[in-house]
Amino acid sequence: MTGGVAQRREAGTRPRSRRGRGLHAPPWAHGEPLIWIAGGALLLALAMILGLVALVVVQGVGTFWPRPIVELTSLDGTAYLGEVVDEETYRPDASVLEELEPEFVPKVRAYLEANAGITRRRLLRTENFEFTGSHFEWVPEFLVQRERQPEWAVVVERYNESRLYGYPRRLLVRGKVTARQPVDIWRQVQQHLPAVHARRSEARRLERHELGRLSRELEAQRLAVRQAELTHAADSSFVRQQQARWLATQQAVQAATAELRRQIDALDRRNAELVLELATTSGEPARVPLGEVVRAYAPNRLSWGQKVGLYLGRWYEFLTDDPRQVNSEGGVFPAIFGTLVMTVVMSAAVAPFGVAAALYLREYARAGWLVSCVRIAINNLAGVPSIVFGVFGLGFFCYFVGGQVDQWFFEARLPSPTFGTGGVLWASLTLALLTLPVVIVAAEEALAAVPNSMREGSYACGASKWQTLVRIVLPRAMPGIMTGMILAMSRGAGEVAPLMLVGAVKLAQDLPVDGVFPYLHLERSFMHLGFHIYDLGFQSQNSQAAKPLVFTTTLLLMTLILCLNLTAIWVRARLRRRFQAGHF
Amino acid sequence: MYCQRMLLSAGVMCSTILAVALVLAARERAPAEGGVEDLPPYVRVEGISGSLKSIGSDTMNNLMTLWSEGFRRFYPNVQFGVKGEGSGSAPPALISGTADLGPMSRPMKNKEIEEFESRFGYKPTGLKSAIDMLAVYVHKDNPIKQLTLQQVDAIFSKTRKGGHAKDIRTWGDLGLKGAWAKKPIALYGRNSTSGTYVYFKEHALFGGDFKDQVKEQPGSSAVVQAVASNKYAIGYSGIGYKTADVRAVPLALEAGEMAYPAEEQYAYSQEYPLSRFLYIYVNYQPGSQLAPLPREFVRYVFSREGQQAVIEDGYLPVSRKTAEEALASVGLAY
Repeated sequence: MTGGVAQRREAGTRPRSRRGRGLHAPPWAHGEPLIWIAGGALLLALAMILGLVALVVVQGVGTFWPRPIVELTSLDGTAYLGEVVDEETYRPDASVLEELEPEFVPKVRAYLEANAGITRRRLLRTENFEFTGSHFEWVPEFLVQRERQPEWAVVVERYNESRLYGYPRRLLVRGKVTARQPVDIWRQVQQHLPAVHARRSEARRLERHELGRLSRELEAQRLAVRQAELTHAADSSFVRQQQARWLATQQAVQAATAELRRQIDALDRRNAELVLELATTSGEPARVPLGEVVRAYAPNRLSWGQKVGLYLGRWYEFLTDDPRQVNSEGGVFPAIFGTLVMTVVMSAAVAPFGVAAALYLREYARAGWLVSCVRIAINNLAGVPSIVFGVFGLGFFCYFVGGQVDQWFFEARLPSPTFGTGGVLWASLTLALLTLPVVIVAAEEALAAVPNSMREGSYACGASKWQTLVRIVLPRAMPGIMTGMILAMSRGAGEVAPLMLVGAVKLAQDLPVDGVFPYLHLERSFMHLGFHIYDLGFQSQNSQAAKPLVFTTTLLLMTLILCLNLTAIWVRARLRRRFQAGHF
Repeated sequence: MYCQRMLLSAGVMCSTILAVALVLAARERAPAEGGVEDLPPYVRVEGISGSLKSIGSDTMNNLMTLWSEGFRRFYPNVQFGVKGEGSGSAPPALISGTADLGPMSRPMKNKEIEEFESRFGYKPTGLKSAIDMLAVYVHKDNPIKQLTLQQVDAIFSKTRKGGHAKDIRTWGDLGLKGAWAKKPIALYGRNSTSGTYVYFKEHALFGGDFKDQVKEQPGSSAVVQAVASNKYAIGYSGIGYKTADVRAVPLALEAGEMAYPAEEQYAYSQEYPLSRFLYIYVNYQPGSQLAPLPREFVRYVFSREGQQAVIEDGYLPVSRKTAEEALASVGLAY
């Protein structure tokens, strides 16, 4: 702040040369063109940023909106049922006529001639993968014989398989047909679903928490035996004692497990008793147990309000649920959570180191060639490609440090690595290294901006150098340091390349923080939104279905970084206020 | 036209036959007929927990994820980490112990096996866990009917070990007429850590070298998407990544032979020329027992549910015989 004022004053007092502004001076001497160029550059940068944001928002927001279902019947009677997701005009090659049945050729030729050889085609999301072997289908206009929007075309999203599109045919309860009319079937399905979902989530809760507790007990005892074998002789009484305890635990766990299993199976069986049968366009009826249904709806019957409800429901699922179907359906909650945890741990690691380094450089180190070298090194570090940090993190943190930690503390679990492989801790530390230069440079600038008169005042009151630093200098430099942290967090949260090496994975449903002791599991691999975007974009099997999700996830990542930044800005503003209030 | 030229140059013909014979001898083809119904369903055992890590093939990335999702349905408390940067990343991960499972879309090379052996004293065990057909994709509007392996070689390779007389640069060179004739072929492929890259190099390029113009993509899906967005493109990738925007071209072993589309029956009948096994490599000391978690995972993969997941991902399940052999190689049985 003070520096800025000083600069302005300097600029104001500098004598202005008036000679260059004469009539015959070249145009750039006036400065006009340069102002235009500068303004234009700003405009261009703004346009690019806004364009990118607009693209992401426009493409990302519509993903979850339920679209109407159409049924297209082609000339040879094949029916396609699905959502229209894309449309294009094109000029079919002459060879398409050769592939047609001879009887349709004149009709198609006439159609194409009438339209100057140009036609339209629509991309239908037809799904029913188990019958058709494909998820999407292009249907050219000249093949369409009939088109309609059937009222009772329904979409069924399933937990363990891809979607189904079809018409409700029957509802079976314990093998008996209870409804044959679509209206009745649908009413009954909607009646049953809440209870079915409740039973399902109860069964999953029992599996995850209760059974999980039991198997963790067993695993702990197995490790205790292993540990005992490592530290004691094979036939020592301690080992035998541990083995006996393991046997006892095994028996106890087995009995408890059998009881839990019985409960879970009973719940699952009740859900399996309700079966919805759909008629599909490929002929075979599809049978779905209601326990498998995430949601079922008839898009062509939905009112506007119901559509909004469905849309919001899907967003809610996207934000709070686990991914399904190789990340192409369901939610991204583990990725959001992983990104957050990683960023927080990274900030916690980078802040003290960065600030301490900056303090030493600015306050203690005597200016000289050594300090200059260190500064140059730090600035150079900021220019090192991030993948190099990833390689360093893998070699140093995962293999070397992690390997040692495993040797010392987790020997019983070897050869399965605990810390000796990628995990959220190593990823955070790698990113902390990556963002260290940003924090050091920002902190140094902030320290330099604290006026010397304050330090001198403090010394005059008899404070030591350390007291001055901690009580006077650091609080006033805090807002500037926070700015550096904001930049570091944004960079860290958006970084992907090094994470691929040190712990971000395609699927990890177990969160790095949960209710199981020791609550913080920093050795676990984690999902990351940036990596998730890369994965959806370049690695998903059903790439056409994944594409809209790429934009939605990008939108989410951008919002998340914005939120992190806003929080940091808010904290900085508070700090500033406090510092100003405490001026005198 | 193309056939006549081939017949005329006897020398080329001889080398072609030789090359094809060599390839046939070396190629490991998928065995006949499999069906998921032959396989027993998976039976849960109690007391399984812990974490499994898989590092390896990108082709199998989604398959591993599907398997891990399916496996977790039996054992909700097992933690899974799946990473797929290419088959080449599996051996180092197995050797350093950072992964329990190493999915690979090609068998390990001798050098990789030796490195593993020098560390552990025994060879890694590869389990044939699914069948893939490597497809040559073109844009959906591309009218090309079929390709021979020699043509594929001349399109992608600068060495043309397949024996095709001249380099193929435009779609006209492949006999397309009209607007297509003058258009150069845009080439897309995988990066060199990928098992798909190695397999394609060995079987479709007859061991030759890729042209420098081949644009290397970071994933199987990326190849398909690149072909989908470029009307004059051609690329190769696993059949599991097929979308409605691209078409898999039927392939023939050589000119004059029947071309087979990349469909299930031709993979099982061994007539489709580029079918291959997908492997899971594990660190198994012969004679010992696998640790409970990897053991159950392997049993799951070769169960009905596991092979059902293979179908769901667009690949083909292995036959009961292959499955039994795979299980036996790690000391297991149904």
